[in-house]
Amino acid sequence: MRAGAGQDRQADRLPGLESRLFDIPEAKFIEVVRLLERVRDHPDVCQTFTAIRPRLVQVRPDRRPTLKRVLCMPFEDVLESVSGVDVPPGRIERRVIDPVWRLVTQRGDAALIDQLDRQVQETAPGNLNALRNIGRRLWPMAAQAVREGIRPAEQGRPTSWHMLHIDEEMRRQMLDVAAFLEIGLTAESLKDALAPKPLSVLGDRHVRAIEQAAQAVARQSAGLVHHLLLVAASRMANPADLLTVLNDLDLGKARRERPMIFAQLSGLVVTSLEERSARLDGSGFGAGPDRAAVAIAPEEAVAIAERLVAGVDTTSAVMDVLADPAYRERLGGVKAAVRAMVTGAVLDTAPGGILVAVPAPSENGRPIPVDENAQEAAEDHARALRRCERLADALGLHEPLKEAMESMESGLLARARALLAQYPKAVGEPGDTETAEIALFYALRLLELVAGPARADQFRTAIMAATGELAEEG
Amino acid sequence: MVKGAIEYAPSTFEERGAAVAFTTPLLSQTRVRRGERSKLEVLIPSLSQGTGIYVVAWKAVPDMVSMTMHDRYLHGLIVKEEACSPQEIRRATLRAARRGLAGPQAAQAARRALEEDEEQGTLTHYLLVLSILKAAGLESPEMLKAGIDTDEGQRLTRQLMTRAAESLRMDAALLYARLADIAAVAAPVGLAHAPRPGRLTRGLNDLKCFRDGMTGWARDVPGDASPVAEFCAEVAQHTIAIGERVLGDFHRRMDGIGPLMRDWDDAFIRVRAQAARMGWLLDGWSHITGAWEVAQGEDRHRQAATVNDLFRILPLLPRKESSRDFVEDAKQVTPAHRRSVRMLEDWRTGQMDIDAIRRIEAVKARAP
Repeated sequence: MRAGAGQDRQADRLPGLESRLFDIPEAKFIEVVRLLERVRDHPDVCQTFTAIRPRLVQVRPDRRPTLKRVLCMPFEDVLESVSGVDVPPGRIERRVIDPVWRLVTQRGDAALIDQLDRQVQETAPGNLNALRNIGRRLWPMAAQAVREGIRPAEQGRPTSWHMLHIDEEMRRQMLDVAAFLEIGLTAESLKDALAPKPLSVLGDRHVRAIEQAAQAVARQSAGLVHHLLLVAASRMANPADLLTVLNDLDLGKARRERPMIFAQLSGLVVTSLEERSARLDGSGFGAGPDRAAVAIAPEEAVAIAERLVAGVDTTSAVMDVLADPAYRERLGGVKAAVRAMVTGAVLDTAPGGILVAVPAPSENGRPIPVDENAQEAAEDHARALRRCERLADALGLHEPLKEAMESMESGLLARARALLAQYPKAVGEPGDTETAEIALFYALRLLELVAGPARADQFRTAIMAATGELAEEG
Repeated sequence: MVKGAIEYAPSTFEERGAAVAFTTPLLSQTRVRRGERSKLEVLIPSLSQGTGIYVVAWKAVPDMVSMTMHDRYLHGLIVKEEACSPQEIRRATLRAARRGLAGPQAAQAARRALEEDEEQGTLTHYLLVLSILKAAGLESPEMLKAGIDTDEGQRLTRQLMTRAAESLRMDAALLYARLADIAAVAAPVGLAHAPRPGRLTRGLNDLKCFRDGMTGWARDVPGDASPVAEFCAEVAQHTIAIGERVLGDFHRRMDGIGPLMRDWDDAFIRVRAQAARMGWLLDGWSHITGAWEVAQGEDRHRQAATVNDLFRILPLLPRKESSRDFVEDAKQVTPAHRRSVRMLEDWRTGQMDIDAIRRIEAVKARAP
């Protein structure tokens, strides 16, 4: 009875803890994660880890190493992300990890697993070299266990993968996992060369590192080069950049397979772009002012759009050589999804996001102080609107963007002029004068962000004339 | 209006000019100085891809460069106040930012900085009163107990200061006037025994962190920008070494408040010159240390771009202030710097690059 009551209390406490773990300082968060890891096998704690994964991804505390985690190291970058819209090409779903682990523990060398497990437990978090040394022995054995476990059925013998309740798609991904495990050590050293992730620019030394790693893997098996390139692509901010250098890479013994590798990789890049654009809609990033306002901030929407458009443009340029109309159509579909997201999250929400920060004149004539948080948000929105100019060509947004900008400019001017008309009433009361002037300058700033300094300058001159500073500026 | 590109190696701080915290990327940290016939002029580094510095009449700047609203306002203030010392420029900059024209966060930071300046002034004044009384052997527990901001405390202070003036053989009004002058000079630097270091002393400490950060970054992130980072660390170290000497000397003189008050004409000029020298030494560095702090949250490519941006505006010491010719040394770094300068291109086109402006404003919000 008492034990049961204790469990209830624990179950009650943990969900509360989950939400609080998003608010506490980073150092405290890391401390709590360390404590939770000691009892991580408890079901409530597992649930807590799932709930706080977004912050774990963000903070990346050195987690207590486990053998399962060492197993995942070679393909951790190719795992689907927990949140957001980024999907690495050739992504592995997280649901694949448990069946893979089961196969390894059931079919692998039990003595070796026990030995490696003990070594892992003695390894300090963050000691990457020690973990890789453990991986060096674990990965080849695990690759073999997975391959054997999901071998197609032989005559008179049922497939073990059916017994694991895995579908064909999972089986395909488990085969990919086996390939990543086979190239584990090379993949790990390539990750070092392509750091820090995400790589925004693919420099010469990065290309050299990819080439050398590809040649090493090709000596092992030409068929594994594709997987190594997926590891490389997953380290990059725009995975399509890899396609632009692929034809210049000397792939060593996999030279002859280059056309096939290029076709495979470009297909996966397109699929990844499609999946990312699909997430825009599926995760509430889609069009519609109300929905988008809740789901995504305008600046974030533009940042996502910029990444996707860069990916589509690079892929289109590289894949022109394939002259495949199906790809063009698929990439066009990605752009359409991005356009809908930008329209919903940035353009349609602009009136509520920007104009609302400029206070309307009060009835009693006394100036209303500007809410600086609202001003900050409005400025972010105005910047997002301006950044859409760079996307207008690619997304065919010229007209709606022009309309939104013109509407914001005239709306801001109308509100700013109303404040200016009321300004003389505030003069005389020192506090009121400053409040009224700051409101005018904040409105001026929004106008500048939306319409540019040249157009805003006329209103600046009007403010300075009203405040008496124009004559002084002379 | 443009006097033309010159190879720029100023002899003195005044010739180098004071850095102005503009938010227009092309103008960020450009320097204003008093030129021929005492007219203000601005020094703009390489308007195009060329080398050298352009000297432009201050009033002509808005006609030449598209400026942000913040910069138009700040430009007007500087014209109006004929400001060209680091202290005057800073005051104008804070007034412009307080208007909100560099965003709400910069406005809040400017308000805080102005409040801190005022508090620092009061604190310095108070500590100097105590120093004078101590020098005259008139320490008063009653006065300390009452507190200088109460009526009773002020009455006691006036009484004791009158006696201190007699002891120093000067008129009380003159003592008060000199006290006000010395407090105004000392407040930005701060007194050695003050509970909180002055703004310039904090700036010197920030510069030490920056030096260490640059040295560490150059070591940990090999690449084209690492020699640039090493050079930034060397310039910082050289400035720190001079700054520490000046600061030590300043504090020694301030500790001898009695002789300072007595040999006023000569001693005050020296103390004022030392405080001014601290101001000039650290001029332009607060933006640099603040920008590097902001860059800590960014990826290494962006950090490399920041290192290159900072190199462009590095406050190299004038010839008369340093035995080392940093201008010449900077030319050795330039080729490596140019190789990795691609991300800087937006800053040089003069187009309103809203992302670049935002980065500058983020620094202003951190280091107003």
